[in-house]
Amino acid sequence: MSLNVQNKVTADIHLEITNILNMEAYYLDNRKYKEWLELLADTITYRMPLRETVEGVGVSNIAEDSAFFEETKTSLRTRVNRLYTKSAWVENPSTRQRHFITNIYVEATADPDEYKVRSYFLFMRSRASTSDIEQMFGERHDIIRKIDNGWKICSRTIYPDQSVITTMNMSMFL
Amino acid sequence: MIKKTMNEKAFHLLKEKMEQGLLPQWVITDPDIYDLEIEKIYGHTWQFLGHETEIKEPGSYVTRWMVNDPVLLVRTRQGEVKAFLNSCTHRGTQLCTADRGNKKTFTCPYHGWSYNLEGELVGIVAGNKVYGEEMDKSEWGLRPIPQVASYQGMIFGNLDPNAESLEDYLGEMKWYFDILLGRSGGMEVRGLPQRWVAKANWKATAENFAADPYHVQTTHRSTVEMGISPEDPLYAGYGHQVVMKNAHGINVITSKTGRARVPYQGTPESMWPLFEKHLTPEQLDIQSKVTVFVGGVYPNLSFVSPIHGTEGHLHNYLNFRMWRPIAPDRVEVWCWFLIDKAAPEEYKEDAYRGYLGSFGPSGTLEQDDTETWARIVEVSKGLMMRDKELNYNSVSNYLMGYSHVKPDENFPGPGTAYPTTYIDALSRKMHEHWLELISKDMFEKEVSR
Ligand code: FES
Ligand SMILES: [Fe+2]
Repeated sequence: MSLNVQNKVTADIHLEITNILNMEAYYLDNRKYKEWLELLADTITYRMPLRETVEGVGVSNIAEDSAFFEETKTSLRTRVNRLYTKSAWVENPSTRQRHFITNIYVEATADPDEYKVRSYFLFMRSRASTSDIEQMFGERHDIIRKIDNGWKICSRTIYPDQSVITTMNMSMFL
Repeated sequence: MIKKTMNEKAFHLLKEKMEQGLLPQWVITDPDIYDLEIEKIYGHTWQFLGHETEIKEPGSYVTRWMVNDPVLLVRTRQGEVKAFLNSCTHRGTQLCTADRGNKKTFTCPYHGWSYNLEGELVGIVAGNKVYGEEMDKSEWGLRPIPQVASYQGMIFGNLDPNAESLEDYLGEMKWYFDILLGRSGGMEVRGLPQRWVAKANWKATAENFAADPYHVQTTHRSTVEMGISPEDPLYAGYGHQVVMKNAHGINVITSKTGRARVPYQGTPESMWPLFEKHLTPEQLDIQSKVTVFVGGVYPNLSFVSPIHGTEGHLHNYLNFRMWRPIAPDRVEVWCWFLIDKAAPEEYKEDAYRGYLGSFGPSGTLEQDDTETWARIVEVSKGLMMRDKELNYNSVSNYLMGYSHVKPDENFPGPGTAYPTTYIDALSRKMHEHWLELISKDMFEKEVSR
């Protein structure tokens, strides 16, 4: 596929997209989940397949038939709304969480308003007054598009690096 | 074998308390008790290894654990299911570290010994050039798991060659497995089990699933707040709790009227004739009335068959989970999604989403369960909790329905069925069985008297 010259990723575009991802992390870390939902396109597909241990070199180790998340905007909204109830005990008292987003790589597509974005995440969480630190890490593949002059995340696939998850639940969004 | 034991005085205090429906709190995470459990319970009971649809083809395999014993579960060329200790017979190296795959032979990365699907040693690097003629390959095959058997597609293993057969072990539970797993002619597993580590004790998680619908109204109150679950505090209490031999049990949760909220758990109508075909009239009666089945096979396999979704429409599925103990206060949870083979493909897909939205590590219901499990083990190390002399009397209350709820003789299924699921009958049975197993052959005179 050949790309038009005007589709190259400028420094401005890179900065704008980086800002969006940082803004997103800020929303998530500060429990501004409704603001977070606004960053997502109404047609978003939000997925997180399992990582598996397989033998062989250069073979896929993503278990595409198995998932932790397989969401639409509607199901994400249900999850978010629940976190605003008083009795979602997993987040009441709320956990403290940070999303560290790095290695952002932006690629142009044939559509001048649409970019493929790869980023790494390190999620860390502290719960109640225990000294345990929970963490999860991996990579995200997004499609981010400019819609009516604003950036929206149109699809996200999250690839965890752990095949056995070491956070005691997954009440977070990644 | 190393025989772990228990202080005799502590044993008698424990027994006495438990007979009154009280469970001393120190037993939850006591490290000595934990060692006893691993040896005396997990060394002799049937443990879940996998479902036959996970290893469909000849050469398909999955790797599993029976607590700390590594297991290689394979489908042989003849289509048989076999389970071996996943450890090379040369120096003990873990043979296969993949979660699943398909192979003809397994080769050890250390010195290259290789084994076929029958577990036979078929290749030794440099063969009799290094071993001479005295090396008899047939003596060095993979060590088979002493007993392997399956029921309704569920494959179990037992480390005790003298344990009772799987069929006998499951006993009355087979009748309910026939409903859960056999209602439409068989279930299939989707993908790999989700795995995660929860801060919890295996007894508490097993009890949470098998025996505790009482927690639903409070722990899962967020769904009530959102208008998904009914306001009635008794909503998960309608129906029957069935207590069975070997401390297996099931809760058949219906509704205030005694009927299901939606017929046949909201499954597509095209499947109903299959239920009629595969179930006896008594089983069909239960299947037609149930809203949620939730229960367990002792010691560490649990199941739930609910109706859920996060997209505005609800679907039924079957979730099995195995609580693998990894420490007194840690379990590695293995969580399988099962669905009727006969269900329409689109329904299977929707049901999987319904599952992800409710149970498993990302499930909106189970997220809150993990919080309560953690809160039990986080406080269990205190002196008052750990007091084996019970001077502080730190005991948990298992008195719900203790003397006033009598079994319902008219319940159509086997086992002792109590006419409510807000009752501690199954928990008490699990504790009683637990004590019997961990103290077996320990205080012979007292126990057998
Ligand atoms: S340990 Fe496996 S070949 Fe030596
Ligand atoms: Fe629960």
